[in-house]
Amino acid sequence: MVAIFEKIILLCNIPNIKGGYLMKKLVAVCLLIFAVSCTKTYTRPSEEEVKPPKEIQEEVMKVEEEAPEEIAYARDEQIGERDLSPAEVAEVAKMVFSDIHFDYDKYNIRPDARPMLDQVASFMSENGDYNIVIEGHCDERGTNEYNLALGERRAKSTKNYLVSLGVSSPRISTVTFGEEKPLCTDTSETCWQSNRRAHFVVTGRR
Amino acid sequence: MKKKGSEVRGQGSGVAYATFIAYCIPYVLSILFLFSLVTTSHARIYIDISSPGARKLPVTIITTGPMQSKEIEWIVKSDLDATGVFEMVDPDIPGAEIIVTLDVDMSVGLKVVLSVRDLIENREVLKKRLDASTVIIRPMAHSIADDIYKVATGKDGVFRTKISYLKELASGKKELQYMDWDGFNSKKIISRGLTTSHNWGQDGRYLFYSSERKRQWKIYVLDLDNFTESLLFSSKGLNIVGGTSPDGLISFSSSKDGSSEIYTVNKYGKNLKKLTRAFGIDVSPVFSPDGKTIAFVSDRGGTPQIYVMTSQGKNMRRVTYEGSYNTSPAWSPDGEGIAYTGRSNGKFQIFVVQSDGTDLRQLTFSGNNESPSFSPDGTFLVFDSDRDGKRGIYVMRSNGEAQKKITSNRVKAMTPEWSPYLKK
Repeated sequence: MVAIFEKIILLCNIPNIKGGYLMKKLVAVCLLIFAVSCTKTYTRPSEEEVKPPKEIQEEVMKVEEEAPEEIAYARDEQIGERDLSPAEVAEVAKMVFSDIHFDYDKYNIRPDARPMLDQVASFMSENGDYNIVIEGHCDERGTNEYNLALGERRAKSTKNYLVSLGVSSPRISTVTFGEEKPLCTDTSETCWQSNRRAHFVVTGRR
Repeated sequence: MKKKGSEVRGQGSGVAYATFIAYCIPYVLSILFLFSLVTTSHARIYIDISSPGARKLPVTIITTGPMQSKEIEWIVKSDLDATGVFEMVDPDIPGAEIIVTLDVDMSVGLKVVLSVRDLIENREVLKKRLDASTVIIRPMAHSIADDIYKVATGKDGVFRTKISYLKELASGKKELQYMDWDGFNSKKIISRGLTTSHNWGQDGRYLFYSSERKRQWKIYVLDLDNFTESLLFSSKGLNIVGGTSPDGLISFSSSKDGSSEIYTVNKYGKNLKKLTRAFGIDVSPVFSPDGKTIAFVSDRGGTPQIYVMTSQGKNMRRVTYEGSYNTSPAWSPDGEGIAYTGRSNGKFQIFVVQSDGTDLRQLTFSGNNESPSFSPDGTFLVFDSDRDGKRGIYVMRSNGEAQKKITSNRVKAMTPEWSPYLKK
């Protein structure tokens, strides 16, 4: 107990304490410590009995709750396309357009893409029941976010070119997949080139 | 984690006493605190982690208990060792200044009595009992490491924080997951649609992410307390989430008006503010820790570079000038530095620069390294790298030391985001 008291005295003499008011608070606290210590029989002050750390138990519960099926997903509304009928699906299957390609970090339409874009445009003018989605893609190099924006630019410049050929703008929608859906995954210029593309998907007209 | 911090103070760690000296204590004190004040006499900060090149603190850890207690010891050591401010000393070898004893009892659940003793002054500076109803080794060990770290440095450890990231399931299919800071204990969060960018709300309860579903890129928010997802923002075009501010704003890029620009909304997805107007690509906006500044990527100068502006879109200023491709900015928690991905000699590397553009440092040199994110105390950076052939998540100290892969070589993982301190 003497030792404890000495420590209390020590506490009260801490030089860093600012101001008499705080000092008074401290003294009061010291006295409280002393009072509390005295009311107990003399036992070695035991380790404080901390409540079971809630965070640990809760984490266990959380681990058990993490079945992905339980995620309540947000509802997504359907956007402006309809499902194709089986006959249409067969028709569309015959109409497969090759991808067009882009230079690294560029989104301008290259001359080698023009024949394919002409084909797409004439298909659209002859088949009024169909719409088209243009997907913009990138190679794996660079940041995902920047590549998403770049893929969007590629899709949009492709759309603009088709509109310039006379396809009505509302019939063409665009989406970017950035570097997320590569056709191949080798580390080579051939592979990267095939991934830097705009891809055409024919859909039903609403 | 905040709650935990106050608990630790209440339990009268040595650090609590330092706080005591610094701020003086409020009137209301629990009896427990009084007792612990008696048991833990005056404390000091053993290592000043803010002074660079400070010496390491030699620590010995002694564990008693059943076999699995060795695993706890191993995890604690590995946590402390990673910070670079401790030197682990074998119990048989003299020289330790701090001795940690872990008495592990696994007869019912998992109980650990943690004691930290200052060998120089020969007194106990922390004694704490940790209880868990079931045997959960890892959270227990990380919790103990946090306690020891706090006693030694006066700062909160990050050993119980999480890292969210994307795991590739198949080509073109990624799943949002999170894991412990050391790569263990990974959990699936979102597998629906194609999820890419993601970031944590400031309190660690909410995860914001961009997901492509039915060819629409929208921003969603997941409440991790009940695993309920809500739609935060949707529009025509591409919407990619960036970061969050202390007062609950979310920054993102959207091409709703044609070109990709920077916007903010509040946590309800309302009060939309457009901050940039430029032809070209503006993406990846992230708030500074005080919420007053936004760093983002723009190609308005011809190549993608890091820019900063106020959170109102004013006083735009370019930060990076080296190289022709600088993206994915991340603020250091002190608000002074920005880590980012930059292309150098055809490869992507992690760089850190002061937000005024000075003091540029390259932190990685091998393979392609991308997507840096700071731990909430600024001690570590997490990033992804393909240096060993398969892209995975790596952690390093924020000065570039001790780079270590934390995901398994069996999985392809990328785009990590370090959580804030978690409340639980």
